[in-house]
Amino acid sequence: MKISPTGRLADDKLVVRGVSKTFTGRKSSVAALEGVDLHVDDGELVCLLGASGCGKSTLLSIIGGLEAPTDGEVRIDEELVIGPGADRGMVFQAYSLYPWLSVSENIEFGLKVARWPKAKRADRVQELLGIMSLTEFAKALPRELSGGMRQRVAIARALAPEPDVLLLDEPFGALDAQTKRSMQDFLLTVWRRTGTTILMVTHDVEEAIYLSQRVYVLAARPGRVAAEVGIPFGHDRGPNIKRDPRFLDLRDELSDLVTH
Amino acid sequence: MDGTVPDVTGTPVAATPAATGAGPAVAGAGAPTGTRGRRPSQLLGIRGPLALRWRIGFGALGVATIFAIWTYAAYALNTGSALVPTPAATWKALADLWSTGTLQSDLTASVQRVAIGYSISVVIGAVLGIAIGTFASIESFFEPQIGFLRYIPATALTPLFLLWLGIDESPKIWLIVVGTVFYNILMIADVARNVPRELLNASYTLGATRRTVVRRVILPHSLPGIVDVARINLAAAWLMLVVAELLAAQKGLAFEIIKAQRFRAVDTMFALLIVFGVIGLVSDVFLRWFRGRIAPWARA
Repeated sequence: MKISPTGRLADDKLVVRGVSKTFTGRKSSVAALEGVDLHVDDGELVCLLGASGCGKSTLLSIIGGLEAPTDGEVRIDEELVIGPGADRGMVFQAYSLYPWLSVSENIEFGLKVARWPKAKRADRVQELLGIMSLTEFAKALPRELSGGMRQRVAIARALAPEPDVLLLDEPFGALDAQTKRSMQDFLLTVWRRTGTTILMVTHDVEEAIYLSQRVYVLAARPGRVAAEVGIPFGHDRGPNIKRDPRFLDLRDELSDLVTH
Repeated sequence: MDGTVPDVTGTPVAATPAATGAGPAVAGAGAPTGTRGRRPSQLLGIRGPLALRWRIGFGALGVATIFAIWTYAAYALNTGSALVPTPAATWKALADLWSTGTLQSDLTASVQRVAIGYSISVVIGAVLGIAIGTFASIESFFEPQIGFLRYIPATALTPLFLLWLGIDESPKIWLIVVGTVFYNILMIADVARNVPRELLNASYTLGATRRTVVRRVILPHSLPGIVDVARINLAAAWLMLVVAELLAAQKGLAFEIIKAQRFRAVDTMFALLIVFGVIGLVSDVFLRWFRGRIAPWARA
């Protein structure tokens, strides 16, 4: 039995072992990822931090089962990932809501697919609408919502079928700074309330420190784990930690790692 | 026209001896008089908004222009034998066709042929188009056949169809099918290909099976596109109908035009052409309304 980088096995929710991905073109092939090892514990919030082009989105797609690794494996609760499934909810930067379905129908989609009974579906949708402060927009179509609200619907939709892991691919990348900050606080609240294991991809150093318990820094060409950094702030952190000297030190340290 | 030359009247530039030489610039400092920029054109603004009354006005002007040219042509070109009927003569011919009941039976026959033939074509187009746009294996299977068949002019098949299917309704209906189905298949395949990859991926991560993705994602997302394709290719269906009726028919709008030709009844021919135009207009408006009804989320 292999042992994950930190030597722990017991509460590993998600384990990525030696994952490589090579895109083979007509003339040359590009190594997008090479020998990536990482793990996320049960209930942990971890960020994958890296500059654009370092393969972090590819890695998330592989974990989500949307792409196959050239080499290596991904395991959730010890089980090998062979394709996409409802156990790994995903949220994309471009929201990707069903434009013909209302907010509550979008959230309900995964529950219908999983054949939840009708009453249970309605309860779950109501609960998520409440958590996401979307109750009054339950009947609205996605096109009638702002970017921040659409992303809340996308998160609610991914959370609805109670996934083991929530995978977020630069979910706040398309939002303005103001909305982005409130969505970050919002994500922390949701994480605290639901206890879901979250793996989030971002290129924003401050976002990574502000949200996560651990950060994996990815280096580019080929994409690989350059560093694993623990974040010393607790669960009930708030905007005030951004003035903490440790926050500033971490920001400098991680910024250096990302640009190198 | 307003002066578009940059005007500096109101600018309180520090008065240098040279500039203060002329009086008016200083005098105007208290009350600005110049304008900046070009005023947007009310009627010819590029992609500019146009008030509803102007829209209606221009539309009416367009119709009036056509009638004016038509009337002029009717009187100017008709030396000796009538080549162009006057609007009044056309209207009378139309009224005659209606009162004898010819128009009604022709209309029924033609509309029925197009409705049956084109419905078959759209259904085949939707099923095969979605399948081709969704599955690479099905696309590979049909690609060579469709690529070959689509370049055979459907009208060239008319004699064969008459030979195979006789001269009753079925060759006419199948000509309409064959003349439109390849356009429908290929264009609907494109519609299905345009479903965003991420929407499919999001569905898979919500636990959807391939069947669910086709039924609950690709199909609803393609629905307005299918209606658009059906609307665009409907013109080709009428084209095929005319070809079919010109060759062998006892009833129908195009058959009636041929009949009118034998009597040099240009007024009847014009009346029937107008009927074709009205049918096209009505079906276009209906399909646009229908698209908005079934897919309000995709309204422009």
